[in-house]
Amino acid sequence: MSGAMLEAADEMAAQEALHALGCTDGLPVIVPTAGRVARMVLASGLDGDIELGTMGPGHGVATIEKVACAAVMAGCLPDHMPVVVAAVRAVCDPVFDLTEMQATTHCIAPLVVVNGSARLAGGYAGGFGLMGPGHRANLCTGRALRLAMMNIGSARPGESDMAIHGSPAKLSLCFAEDEENSPFPPLSTTFGHAPGAAAVTVLGVEGPHSVLFSGDAGDPAAAEALLDLIAAVIANRGSNNSYLGGHAAVAVVLNPEHAAVLARHDYDRARIQQALAARAVTPRGELARLNGKMLQGEGDPVPAVRDPANILLLVAGAPGLYSVVMPSWCAGPHGNVAVHAAVELDQACELPGAG
Amino acid sequence: MRDGIALARQGRPTVAFVTAKFRPQGEFVARAEGMPEVPQVILPHPVAGIGAAAMADLARTIAAEVVLRLREG
Repeated sequence: MSGAMLEAADEMAAQEALHALGCTDGLPVIVPTAGRVARMVLASGLDGDIELGTMGPGHGVATIEKVACAAVMAGCLPDHMPVVVAAVRAVCDPVFDLTEMQATTHCIAPLVVVNGSARLAGGYAGGFGLMGPGHRANLCTGRALRLAMMNIGSARPGESDMAIHGSPAKLSLCFAEDEENSPFPPLSTTFGHAPGAAAVTVLGVEGPHSVLFSGDAGDPAAAEALLDLIAAVIANRGSNNSYLGGHAAVAVVLNPEHAAVLARHDYDRARIQQALAARAVTPRGELARLNGKMLQGEGDPVPAVRDPANILLLVAGAPGLYSVVMPSWCAGPHGNVAVHAAVELDQACELPGAG
Repeated sequence: MRDGIALARQGRPTVAFVTAKFRPQGEFVARAEGMPEVPQVILPHPVAGIGAAAMADLARTIAAEVVLRLREG
């Protein structure tokens, strides 16, 4: 075990000590005893001293052991550890701009989308209520990433994490794509992963903004109306995406019913992305009137997303009236784009007594 | 703060402006980046959006301190 060991008389005392040290997200944690952490390291199938990357703004080195500590504290099962490792590896990609993202005043949080066999191995939910409450794999994995960002990356509210309001999404935001009910190939395939391969995609986003749509299956205009509605939410006039140059990615999570409406009208992922990018625009004069000091970039109308490929389109949630858009922050040296990582399930080993 | 540290590392006379509300973050970043001694001038919060006249008043208020810090650096 590396690093300083905290000593406490019992579990409750340890719990209070962790809260007092600012090591929690404000909720109770599982106390990361040496034995529990060692067991989680074992679940990763990797050596504890393997370094996944550096986490800003404190520039802490994310070793497997430290990440295992975060996973234990978050309440993860050993089966979740490979996805936690992949998510940490992803946010350590310099393109993710973790240092800047952790420090911003914006309410951005890392969204983790799980694809392929990792969904089944870890029990990740992609249907009803996938963002919570009630889905252990989703919530504990997202929470483990947050605890790693706090305790390895040293992001602390009001000191090094300057989010003005924070966000419930900063506690945990992780779910599986509903590949079985999607008419489109898995999101991860757009980043080069084979269908069925275990992978995570991570994007810094705001929490979900709902899009209400009730279409008639026989209505020939249904797909166009749905696209217009989603585009309007992407280009909402209070959002960073409308003002800050349009270089960031956004996430669009279609429920299976809405996805089917689009597929019935011969929309595949690329056509949807192009249609949304073309429609998610705002007259320059309107943005200049509302928020001129913040307006960046060229063109009129102003696109909220300049590159259609930066609209991360996936299918998840239950069938029904609502899909969601997750706008983004649009800042940082790389402009707030998505990163991805393979989930190494073949490294994981069976734990004695894990049943 | 990061910009200030980057400039200071190039050997350029530098002062980082930090508003009072962001002072803890400024100090954290300075420590994390390995330059806790980077010269700083603490400004009232907020600075953004206070208007040209108030900004000019603020500039006059801090000018001497900025010059002093630049000379010290």
